[in-house]
Amino acid sequence: MSTQTRSHKATKVLERLTKKVNRQIAGTMLACVHCGQCTDSCHYVQTNPGDETFIPAWKADRVRKLFKRHMDWTGRVIPWWVKASSVYTDEELEELRDIVFGKCTNCRRCSINCPMGVDFASMNRMARGLLVSVGIMPEGVSVVSKDQWEIGNQMGVLKEDYLDTLEWMEEELQEELEDPTLKIPVDKEDCEIVYTINPREAKYDPRSISDAAKIFHVAGESWTMPSEGWDMTNFGLFSGDDDLGGAVAKRVYEAVERLNGKTLVMSECGHGYRSTRCEGPNWSQTDLSFKAESSVDTMLRYIKERRIKVDKSKNDFSVTFHDSCNNARSCGLFEEPRELLRLVVADFREMYPNRAENYCCTGGGGAMSMSEYTPQRLKSAKVKADQLIATGADKVVTSCHNCVDGLNDCIKHYKVGMEVTQLVNLVADALIIEPAKTTVVVEEVPAAASAPVVEEKAAAAARPLTGRKILVIDDEPDVCTFLSTVLEDNGAQVLTAADGDTGLALARSEKPDLVTLDLNMPGKDGGQVYEAMRADDELKELNVVIVSGKPELRGLIYDKDVRKPEGYLDKPVSEETLLTSVRKILEVGEDNVN
Amino acid sequence: MSLVEDTTPVEKTINGTVVRLVKDDITAMDIEALVYYATSDLKLGSGHGNAITMRGGMAIQKALDEIGGLDLTQAVITEAGELKAQWIVHAVGPKFQEEDMEGKLKTTVLNSMKKADEKGIKALAFPPMGAGFYGIGLDVTAEVMLEAMTEYLKGATGLKEVVICANDSRDFVPFKNQMEVIQ
Repeated sequence: MSTQTRSHKATKVLERLTKKVNRQIAGTMLACVHCGQCTDSCHYVQTNPGDETFIPAWKADRVRKLFKRHMDWTGRVIPWWVKASSVYTDEELEELRDIVFGKCTNCRRCSINCPMGVDFASMNRMARGLLVSVGIMPEGVSVVSKDQWEIGNQMGVLKEDYLDTLEWMEEELQEELEDPTLKIPVDKEDCEIVYTINPREAKYDPRSISDAAKIFHVAGESWTMPSEGWDMTNFGLFSGDDDLGGAVAKRVYEAVERLNGKTLVMSECGHGYRSTRCEGPNWSQTDLSFKAESSVDTMLRYIKERRIKVDKSKNDFSVTFHDSCNNARSCGLFEEPRELLRLVVADFREMYPNRAENYCCTGGGGAMSMSEYTPQRLKSAKVKADQLIATGADKVVTSCHNCVDGLNDCIKHYKVGMEVTQLVNLVADALIIEPAKTTVVVEEVPAAASAPVVEEKAAAAARPLTGRKILVIDDEPDVCTFLSTVLEDNGAQVLTAADGDTGLALARSEKPDLVTLDLNMPGKDGGQVYEAMRADDELKELNVVIVSGKPELRGLIYDKDVRKPEGYLDKPVSEETLLTSVRKILEVGEDNVN
Repeated sequence: MSLVEDTTPVEKTINGTVVRLVKDDITAMDIEALVYYATSDLKLGSGHGNAITMRGGMAIQKALDEIGGLDLTQAVITEAGELKAQWIVHAVGPKFQEEDMEGKLKTTVLNSMKKADEKGIKALAFPPMGAGFYGIGLDVTAEVMLEAMTEYLKGATGLKEVVICANDSRDFVPFKNQMEVIQ
């Protein structure tokens, strides 16, 4: 019997362990025969040959030893034989944290390759939950979890900002389809569909909201978005916190019931789909009284029922498809996205391996929020990069917002030269919009007056940033030129700075409306510049968009206790993405241009 | 069975002070003061802290930086910047299964009300203290908070209104149940 003192946190972890081990986990604890089948299935192992600490069975043994010691008779009688041991200190718990959060994305590829049925990912998630319960977790997990608990979504989007984004997208769509009656309905009761999204869409990718709205509109759907319970993602899946999982899922389910919706439709997000459709009812102890489906199913149904028509020649580039681990391996959503893809693109190429055997985007399991592990995450992304390159495709499509970010990081890091997109974008782009579906309102304007007014409006719409002053801080001349050209072409007055000190000085003297800020610069880096801006009374309210090609530097901004930037764009930045972001932040719509 | 819970506000009066349970967004509330469940380093951080910063501005964190830090169970008051509230009571409560959670939580609630009283605050809103992210069970939070409030309000106080602001129905129901047993 050991007489070693055990820390309070270690005691609590062991107490909770005995409560969290259910039959499935017990099977996983007991069944491993260390045959090695899991080893090569893991992308971390493949990119770290010779390092046993990445092998799934080795990682599992760090948790299994506790089970053996405290819950299995063999560990009490012959602990040296079954390698049972306990945990005593907070430092040991922190070492375990770096394994369960930093060396595994819970992708479950090892799970399906285990002949004994060992589901390491489920065990790993449980271990994460044990550590989270005593406050031991990566900083990013803490930040995101607290936002989702207290603000109601994992990106801390305030209700007013969410509603503002929907209104903005509605106006954009009205302009695009020349239909002033088009709505993105909020809290409308008795609809067929209640549509829920990933907060990344409201914060960084509003086009995916307007694309979905366009599809619903053309399909003539009765649909709405809820003002509360709209975040269908669930960080409880990543943190292992079942209470968070249940609370978040319940908010979504309540929203559907409150609005008396018939079907809950989840936008393209792998972990959101798994959490809300598959795991949420268990976490929240709820029986769903409505249908729940992925928007992939919804869009496919619309085409099959001829509610929308598509022309695949509009998407005249080659695409491949990345199966999200949560959609595919954990929920069986394999064929539906492929069927839809073949209807909306002319050149679809499989990636190999695919479906349940596909490799993780390497940003799964919450890895994108854990900046301390970014170098080893990007190293493991080599497997994904090789898969992407082998397809020779122009674009990679995925039905998961987390994968969009993971793939973008991988593509940039390994210079793959590929664009990432989602099915909702491709379907929207392929839509055949018949005149009958839109109402064009023609105002009668006296002939003499109409021409100058129309010309003036057209000119303003062509240069929507007229009157705005924007400061571009970036040490790469090519990037500086690109950003400046796009912004100037759209009417903005642009100032440029090639280093942080010059940028700060210009910000103070010129008082720009918005600053784009690179992170990786010689001298004062973007993180220091950003911190200095937020600490400066004159500059603290500045709108800042981070523009960076180094995802591993995100921590320079997001790990600091300062107000978060108004936008974050990954390099290379497309013209459309840049303008969408800048216009949203400056609240410049098509019809409120200067 | 319907998932939608009745979250109609519930009220009790304790020695002349109204204790009201509502479901709302505490950082957007129009109330004289609100309590923020703070950390010892007084960094606002994410969650409600993030909402306070985004809605209230950077002045709040700046004021906290000047104070520096605070011991467990203690509370400190700052102005609330551009929030609808005028004051924020930053109270450092227990977290993540630490020892004597209930005792520390009760002291934190009592100290929050004491600080508010010292400032002459009449209306004060609390979140479910320590529940959610910090892992204190909702039943425990509800019982301890209402016990502390009842004890405090039975003494001399200038507080006229104490509001418990639940994030969602999951938060609301245990407090509603606990409100029903208040004498």
